[in-house]
Amino acid sequence: MSLNFPKFVQRLLAILTYTVIYLPIVIIAILSVNASARDYVFTGFSLRWYREIVLDARLLQAIQNTLTIALLSTTIATCLGTAFAIGIHGLKRNQRIRMMVLNNVPIVNPDIVTGISLLLVFSLLPISFGMPTMLLAHIFFSIPFVVLSVLPKLKALDPNLFEAALDLGATKFQAIFRVIVPSIKMGIIAGALIAFTMSIDDFVISYFVYGNGYQNVSIWIYSRLGRRTFSPAVYAYNTLVVLITMIILFIFNQFNRKNKKLKGDRIT
Amino acid sequence: MQSLRKLSIPYIIWMTVLIVFPTIIIIVLSLSTLNIFRLDPFDWTFQNFRIFTSDVFYIALRNSIKFALLATTISFFIGYPVAYLLANSTSKNKTLYVTLLIVPIWSNMLLRIIAWEKLFYPNSILNMFGISLDLIGKDSAILIGMVSMYLPFMIFPIYTVLEKMDKDLIEASRDLGANMVQSFFKVTLPLSLSGIVSGVIMTLLPAMTAFALPARLSGGRTLLLGNLIEDYFMKTSNFNLGSLISIVLMIVMLILYVVIIRFDKEGDTLI
Repeated sequence: MSLNFPKFVQRLLAILTYTVIYLPIVIIAILSVNASARDYVFTGFSLRWYREIVLDARLLQAIQNTLTIALLSTTIATCLGTAFAIGIHGLKRNQRIRMMVLNNVPIVNPDIVTGISLLLVFSLLPISFGMPTMLLAHIFFSIPFVVLSVLPKLKALDPNLFEAALDLGATKFQAIFRVIVPSIKMGIIAGALIAFTMSIDDFVISYFVYGNGYQNVSIWIYSRLGRRTFSPAVYAYNTLVVLITMIILFIFNQFNRKNKKLKGDRIT
Repeated sequence: MQSLRKLSIPYIIWMTVLIVFPTIIIIVLSLSTLNIFRLDPFDWTFQNFRIFTSDVFYIALRNSIKFALLATTISFFIGYPVAYLLANSTSKNKTLYVTLLIVPIWSNMLLRIIAWEKLFYPNSILNMFGISLDLIGKDSAILIGMVSMYLPFMIFPIYTVLEKMDKDLIEASRDLGANMVQSFFKVTLPLSLSGIVSGVIMTLLPAMTAFALPARLSGGRTLLLGNLIEDYFMKTSNFNLGSLISIVLMIVMLILYVVIIRFDKEGDTLI
C-alpha cells in the first residue's frame, strides 16, 4: 500500500503520540520511587511508597474497593451483556438497529451526564449510596461494551447452528451454553476486558454515585488533592497496575505471535 | 436464534429505567422548582433559564467549545497519520504498538492529570534537567492535558476502519491512474470516514465536559461546562440549574450521535 504522508512526518507524529501519552505515566513512576514526599524534587531512590501501600489503611481499603467493584461488575456485566446480545441478535433488523442505538447511548454520552442521570435515579430509588450504587453504575456503563463486542461474533455464526443443536436433541439451555457461548468466546473475553478496564480507572461516574465513605481509588485521590493525607503511595499503586498490565499484554503478544507462526499465518 | 429474542426484553426495561427515566427527570428539574430530595409540590418555571444570560455560563460555554474544538483538531492531525501508520505497518511488533496505546487507559486518569500538573508548575522535578515550565493557568496546559488523555480514543476507531479496509481498492485506484494524493483523498479518506466520526466524537465530548482536568491544569481559573455541573450537583446542590446545563450537553451529544448513526448504524467503530 502506498504511503501518502511523508514517512519522517509519520514517524515524528508517532514518537510525539507515545511521548505525550506515556510522559505522565513515567512521571508517576518516578514519583513512586522518590525518597521525598515532596513531589517537586527528586531526592533519591526509595521503595518506601511501595511499602506504604499496605500501611495506609484508607488507601488499601480504596484499592480493595476498586478491585472488588471491577471484578463484580465485570462478571455481572459480561453475563448480562452476553445474554442481551444473544437476545438482540434474535431481533428483526429494524428492531435490532433501534436497540443498538439505545445500547450505544451510554458509550457516547459524556460521563458527567451518565453520572448525574444515575445520581438522580438512585436518589429516587430506595437504595443506599455506597457500594450498591457504585456497583450498579459500573454494571450499567459496562454492559454496552460487552454487547458491542459480542454482537459481531454472533453475526459471524452460521444462522442454523442453534437450530441444528436443537434438532440434535439439545435443550435450549444446552444449545446456548454448549454451542453458542463457546463459538463467541473471543467476543465475550474482549468485552470482559473492556468492562474491567473501564471499571478500574473510572472516576467521573463513580464520583456522582459514591457515598457513605465507600471510596474507590479515584475518589480517594480526588478527595485528597492538595491535602496532607494525599500519600505518594498511590503513585506506587498506579505504577504496579501499569507494570502488571504491560507484562500481561507482552506475554499475550508473544503468545499470539507464536500461535500465528504455528498456524503458518502471515505474521503481522 | 429468533426464539432467543426474549432475552432482549429485560435490557429494554433496564435501559428505560437508567436512561429514559433520568432524562425525563433532568428535563423536569430544569423546568421547575422540584427538589429531588423532598419531592414537595413544585412549580413549573422558566426562572432557571436566566443562567443562560449569566457571565459564568457564557464563559464556561465559550471555554468548553474552544478547548474541545482545539483538542479535537490537534488530536485528529496527530492521530490520523499515526492510525494510518499502524494500520499499514508490516512490523512484527505491530500488535505490541497498538496494545501500547491501550496501556495508559489502565493508569488512573486523575493521576495522569496530576502528573502533568506537577510538571507545569515552575518548581517541578524537571528542574533536575534545568527546565522550568510555568504553564498552569495557560491554555496550552489544558490542551496538552486533553490531547494526552484523549488521543488514544481518536486513534483507535480510525485504526479499526483503516485496518479492515480492502487494500486492493488503493491498488485499483492507482491502476486506474490516480496518483498517491488522489487515491488518498478519493479512496482512503472517504472509506475511513466512519472511524473519523467516532474518533472525533470520542474526543470532542469528553473534552467539552471535562471538569477535573481543566480545574487542575488551570489552577482552578478556567471554567468549563463540566465545572459548572459539578458545582451545582456536588457543591451547591442546585440540581435545577445543573440539569439545565446538562441538557445543553445532551443536545450537543444528540446532534453528534445522529451523525455517528448515519455513518455507523450499529456502532462497530465505537470500541
